[in-house]
Amino acid sequence: MSLLLPHLPIEARPAGTADPAAVTDGAGAHRRLIACNEPALRAGISAGMDVPSALMRVPMLRLLPRSQADERRALHALAGWAQQFTATVSVDLLRWTLWLEIGASLGYFGGLDALRSAIDAGLAQLGYTARTGIAPTPEAAALLAAHPEVPAVLTLKALRARLSPLALTHLAVDARTLKALQASGIRTCGELLQLPPPALARRFGAALPQYLRRLLGEESDPRPRHTVPEAYRRRCGLPEPVDALEALLFPLRRLLLELEGWLRGRDAALQRLTVTLAHRSMPDTQLELITSSPQREAVRLFALLREKLERTMLHEPVSELRIAATELVAPQALQGDFFDDRARRQHDWSALLDKLRARLGSEAVRRLGLRDDHRPEHAWCIRTEDDRPPANEGGSNEGGSYPDRPDSPDRPLWLLEPTPIARLPKLFGAPERIEAGWWAGEDTSRDYYVARTPEGARWWIYRDGRTGKWFLQGLWA
Amino acid sequence: MPSLTHASRPAAALDRVLRDERRIWRGREMARVPARATGFAALDACLPGGGWPVGALTEIVPACDGLGELSLVLPALRSLCEAGRAVALVNPPYTPYAPALAKAGLSLDSLLWVHAVRDEEGRWAAEQLLREGAAAVLLWSSAREERALRRLQLAAEAGRACAFLYRRRPEGRPQGRIEPSPAALRVALYPAEGGLRVELVKIRGAPASQVALPLGGSFARRCGACCG
Repeated sequence: MSLLLPHLPIEARPAGTADPAAVTDGAGAHRRLIACNEPALRAGISAGMDVPSALMRVPMLRLLPRSQADERRALHALAGWAQQFTATVSVDLLRWTLWLEIGASLGYFGGLDALRSAIDAGLAQLGYTARTGIAPTPEAAALLAAHPEVPAVLTLKALRARLSPLALTHLAVDARTLKALQASGIRTCGELLQLPPPALARRFGAALPQYLRRLLGEESDPRPRHTVPEAYRRRCGLPEPVDALEALLFPLRRLLLELEGWLRGRDAALQRLTVTLAHRSMPDTQLELITSSPQREAVRLFALLREKLERTMLHEPVSELRIAATELVAPQALQGDFFDDRARRQHDWSALLDKLRARLGSEAVRRLGLRDDHRPEHAWCIRTEDDRPPANEGGSNEGGSYPDRPDSPDRPLWLLEPTPIARLPKLFGAPERIEAGWWAGEDTSRDYYVARTPEGARWWIYRDGRTGKWFLQGLWA
Repeated sequence: MPSLTHASRPAAALDRVLRDERRIWRGREMARVPARATGFAALDACLPGGGWPVGALTEIVPACDGLGELSLVLPALRSLCEAGRAVALVNPPYTPYAPALAKAGLSLDSLLWVHAVRDEEGRWAAEQLLREGAAAVLLWSSAREERALRRLQLAAEAGRACAFLYRRRPEGRPQGRIEPSPAALRVALYPAEGGLRVELVKIRGAPASQVALPLGGSFARRCGACCG
């Protein structure tokens, strides 16, 4: 399968705006439009126009100089994304084309139509316009991508007959050869294919007959396979620095969708994602997303990052967006269909905690633990480990399930910072003396009482052994 | 006696009507609503469904802090923890003391303490928790607007969870007079000898009443006979 991206130069530069914009290439009088966005197309602009006539039609047209670096990055990211459909993807940067070897994937994805619509839907989500061609050879697929009216060709035998009626226009030959062919009265591929190859080679060079043999599958056409890097890094320059959150979200969403495809292709997930917002002069702004369970769905990552972004102060407009996922983990059985209810609950729950942390800060979501210390203020702690119940490992006393200790002392439900008491309320019962901590340089001897205020509040108070002063430290809520 | 037979006919018809439960609402009867036992028989008896309403907002307005406002819900929270369900405390006014909570039988693994700086963030967190998996959320908030409370009520409904909203009694108002709210249940708490006086100010589906609860647990043990 071949994917042709006719608007790659403009689509590689996600702006997320509705203003007409176009990418130009060349210099001086040769400066021409090579791609334009949807609003520009509607206004009558098209690729191939020269700049003055385009500006005459749409004076507000935004002109962006071509960035081949952006095109390359976009195409490679797309290749990474496409590896969720097949392991064999190759890239042709000059022709804005990707090839996917899909023969082996058809069964897995439920047939050609299902696979094709999954790819189409994915591309549309990413914000790319693509034309697909399906044929047994890469060159034939590329040719069919330019002829959307021709249905998929599935066998080599059928290839010649299906290509014959096509015009020469979209053959992958250089413009001079094409002109010469047309000048000699050849109009269709069929007519070209009937000519003797040695004669073609003499007239147009050896490249043309070789191309035709590859087109028909008579000669092998090996293409370098897009290789998968160990870690995911993707940068995306913004055509103009952006300070509005909304304008950042559009490219961010695309980056995350690409990442999801890439992760699917590797059958991996991540727990840590770094997003860098680069500025022109100020140091970069970095956002670190740490999730409590392995994630790869773009929707979920997007929601979490959006929460984070909404709370991030930008001191300068953003000129470039980068994401990096360096530590990959195996996905748990987290794919929709295979969920059992309990796993799903756990998954949803950790997603919820991630959401809370993203908005409130990671310290805002706490779990309590116990510590073996007689001093009341040291007998508890905030646990910081992950969201799953800790495995029963010996040693630490921070476990969740309380060791069965019926003899553990009675304690109030609310703990306060010790607060001096002005008027001593009525005391009940015998005091409990707590002496501990001298080894930590915190010599404490306190007599604890329960007390009751005239309002009816039940206090836990102590008298400091050294000073004789009274403090409130707890409430029997 | 002809007059007697005459009179018995309408009486029989009335009986039939009364027997048809769907057609008549009896003031003293309670609606059947999903509820979770409070662990206090005397309190359960006053509540429709026999416990804290599930999928609804319960407002708790203690006269002051430290009179048993948390002990009141502990038995229900404990049974949720035992079932492996999550319970969250959002913006409690003091540190929830782990040793006491654990001693009361709460699993610290099931317990989440969310600390949000601003009140509306706390309300937001409570809503998310209610909607997405917590079985009970205890929220301390100063919110008074009906809209904010309605959102909590809706979140509890959506997640079929128990929402407990702790509010301070507004200063200078007569007891029991609190602004209107969409809560299904509103209880005011007052200190009482040996325990807690629970005034059920508003109960959806049952008449208002009040009940005195003995609070066992740590405090009573420490006080010994003086208090009980």
